[in-house]
Amino acid sequence: MPLDAPKTGHVVYDPRGIVETTAIPLGKRVADLNGLRLGILSNKKWNGNNLLRKTRAILEDEIDFADVKFYEKESFSKNADPGLLGEIIADNDIVLTAIGD
Amino acid sequence: MARQKTAESSPVESVVSGGVDLVEWYYEKGFSDGFPVVPPTPEKVAATVEALGGDADYVEARVPPRWGSLTREVLAINMVMAGCKPDYAPVVRAAMLALCSPAFNLHGVQATTHMASPLLVVNGPIRKKLEMNAGHNVFGSGNRANATIGRAIRMILLNVGGGWPGDLDKSTLGSPAKYTYCIAENEELGHLAPYHVEKGFTEDDSTVFVMPAEPPHSVTNHVADDPEGILDSIVSAMSTIAHNNAVSAGHCAVVIGPEHAAVMAKYQWTRHDIKNYLWYQATNTFGDVAFQHRYGKVYNRSLPKWYKRDVDARIPVVPSAEHIHLFCAGGEAGRFSAFIPGWGHMASPVLRELNGNAPAGGGMVCEDGTCYL
Repeated sequence: MPLDAPKTGHVVYDPRGIVETTAIPLGKRVADLNGLRLGILSNKKWNGNNLLRKTRAILEDEIDFADVKFYEKESFSKNADPGLLGEIIADNDIVLTAIGD
Repeated sequence: MARQKTAESSPVESVVSGGVDLVEWYYEKGFSDGFPVVPPTPEKVAATVEALGGDADYVEARVPPRWGSLTREVLAINMVMAGCKPDYAPVVRAAMLALCSPAFNLHGVQATTHMASPLLVVNGPIRKKLEMNAGHNVFGSGNRANATIGRAIRMILLNVGGGWPGDLDKSTLGSPAKYTYCIAENEELGHLAPYHVEKGFTEDDSTVFVMPAEPPHSVTNHVADDPEGILDSIVSAMSTIAHNNAVSAGHCAVVIGPEHAAVMAKYQWTRHDIKNYLWYQATNTFGDVAFQHRYGKVYNRSLPKWYKRDVDARIPVVPSAEHIHLFCAGGEAGRFSAFIPGWGHMASPVLRELNGNAPAGGGMVCEDGTCYL
């Protein structure tokens, strides 16, 4: 938020600190899901799991995946382990995940 | 495609007309926790930066989930706005470094739908130097150091960390502890070794303990004159399925009031005895935690693998006695203690000596001065 100010008067401060960000471009959308390898990443929460299970069933009725693999994060509140993310990237073409509290 | 690095920035310091009401100005900018702030002046900010070690642009930490850069100048600005004296700088700095250590998972604590807020407990000589309250109304109002150190932490979590309600803070209910939540341990009246000494520090060391926590739950027992009777009341407060420890394990805290602590001392119960009694007696059945499978078969992956999943199996409220963090605090009159549920296995409490020194007694994993508990 720019702080418009004249040159005399009270000194005021912005208490927020600078944010340095790195823009990461989105991946290219795939045109056809058939024949792709699907990875499913669960955060291990009760409702998130329910959503993923039901979504998987619907998708598998409609799409002929080459493979479907299921993964779990160590904790729903933490980033997935980098090793797990590497495994998912290596073994899958697309990934499905869900947030459910 | 190449990644692009950018910085969201605005001038840290600017000037407004002399006729501006500064309290209202900070409200209008959205830089307040809801209470009026102390408008920072160049003199107050400079004095606090000096107390932090100088070098205003030095980045102490980046505060999630907004990941704002906590320079010493920004830390000082928030401390002044919260009403801190420059002397409080070592405690606020140590607390922020502890909160921003990976094990604490501040990102999760800030963003969770739970009501958790960081609890700070200060030990050692710094308590006296800053005239902190460890006695009557220790969790309540009336002491500048307790109130403004805790408030400075919250101001930083809001302004630098971006934990604004409904934005990056998704807490369903929040709690009063999200204004300020800072106490000192009553090392003189406790009759038990101070918390930080149990963890390997000496009585001459000053430390800050941080743990994501619910507000305190009062435990009253004006009848029992033995440790078992008093502790059974605390066990009763712990043994419910409503708090996060019951369904997500993790750490909790127990605060023993001085009258209850005197009974422990009379019977020579140590901190070890108290923690193990509480751990062994405070249980639920897995069936209760699983709602008797009424809503579907429950395994609950948030609880340790070694908890028995039979509906009649008794399971502990926290995984070990070391997951109960025991403190003595409060005024000398009144037979009260408190149970403080934590957030769950998603975060680890951490303990930090003010200068980042590891305990001489060892026994803990410490990285960059932050000790994981």
